[in-house]
Amino acid sequence: MSNESSPKLITSRRRFLMGAAGLSGLIVTGCDAETASSLLPPTRRGGLVGLADRLTMASQRLLMANQPLAQEHDPRDITRDFPTWGETNPEDEEYQRLLAGGFEEWRLEVGGLVNTPTTLSLSQLKGMKRRTQITSHICEQGWSAIGEWTGTPLTEVLAVAGGLQPEARYVVVTAFDGWYEGFDRFDVEHPQTILAYGLNGRDLPRGNGAPVRLRVERHCGYKHLKFVKSIEAVASMEHIGRGTGGINSDWGFHWYAGA
Amino acid sequence: MSEAAAQPVRRHGLNVRICHWINVIAVGYLLVSGVHIFLDFPELYWGKVGFRGHPAAFRLADWGISWEQAGAWGDRRWGRNYHFTFAWVFVLNGLVYVAWSLARRHFRRRMLPGRDPAPAVGGAPTPRYRTAQGISYLTMIFVVTPLMFLTGIAQMPAFTAIAPWLIDLFGGRQTARTIHVILTAIFVLFALVHVGQVIATGFLRNVRSMITGRAPLPQE
Repeated sequence: MSNESSPKLITSRRRFLMGAAGLSGLIVTGCDAETASSLLPPTRRGGLVGLADRLTMASQRLLMANQPLAQEHDPRDITRDFPTWGETNPEDEEYQRLLAGGFEEWRLEVGGLVNTPTTLSLSQLKGMKRRTQITSHICEQGWSAIGEWTGTPLTEVLAVAGGLQPEARYVVVTAFDGWYEGFDRFDVEHPQTILAYGLNGRDLPRGNGAPVRLRVERHCGYKHLKFVKSIEAVASMEHIGRGTGGINSDWGFHWYAGA
Repeated sequence: MSEAAAQPVRRHGLNVRICHWINVIAVGYLLVSGVHIFLDFPELYWGKVGFRGHPAAFRLADWGISWEQAGAWGDRRWGRNYHFTFAWVFVLNGLVYVAWSLARRHFRRRMLPGRDPAPAVGGAPTPRYRTAQGISYLTMIFVVTPLMFLTGIAQMPAFTAIAPWLIDLFGGRQTARTIHVILTAIFVLFALVHVGQVIATGFLRNVRSMITGRAPLPQE
């Protein structure tokens, strides 16, 4: 497997520390594209709300410059009756067909600005390097539960596809329920960002996003897409949805959901 | 009103006046937006986890407001956008206020309990707050507000990575959320008593003094 997309934490940290120097000017003007992509949302909202949005993301990203892991809990903290919320059974015809076939025919499309676009079956995904993490799922509404998630790190999946091309700045995940969300390299490269196929030691239940859901710890639940269909590396997200970088930000929620 | 008492005296410095009115706007927005967020999920829990169906510490439904009704009132999108916006205003304004006031020795001169203000002999005013008032201000500034801030950020997903110890300190994110709401109730209670006092001691004169800095002190 290629090392192209493995995390380069030291480089990242230097970049963020350098970014810290010019932070105040950056938040207001958003000048330096390289640093801005790690510290600022892809689209800048106006007014005081937009300014606060940038302050929140920039300050939290600086505090996470060394890519700390989200807290992992003790097995006894696991919520056994893990709740389901939102969509639990997408009407999508293709999804229903795949569901009926036990997801034997489900294929994850990995495309866009990767070096060798590819597709992966569920068994291929399960055969790859796996990560299990017991983390809090934190809904922006206020509820939270602790689950043991097992899945394939997103960096591994991208490595199978030959790694990201240099101009790829975001990875957009699309789901069978019509949701789509974009993530910058900072989150893509994080070791806890996984495509999860297991919850609490079993296959991921349909209500929680079978066959595969995204785990992107350090964000609110609405960024953790269920019923994953494809992932696409892009240089810009302007052509996706209404162009703000995700369905939730298209609806007026924060693109950066660390708060 | 005696002639002496009617003489305008300097009651509030520029730091207090500017920060006070910014704070009024920020706290107003924080309260309304916070209520919107809460209404969208009107239950509270203790511990690390909490969700619909989990044993709750507080359920709005027990108070005659159904989940559906609360959800219809609450707009969490608006709430989240403005809560996080005015949280920044509130925190930055608070830091400016504290730094400015420390520099001017505002807390020591006017709030720390020392002696009660001397009786207004012949109406001669004194700028020091009364002991109970000073202590309640100091408690709000140095206990309630920092706890409000900490229980707020302890609910943020990024802080599971930035400072998980902070979440553990409160005994879990759901406990932090519940404390955050309890502190809100304390804030509201403080504001009600505060405005009540302002009205009881001469509303227009008090408001004028918080704008211009000068006004006669109330007569006892």
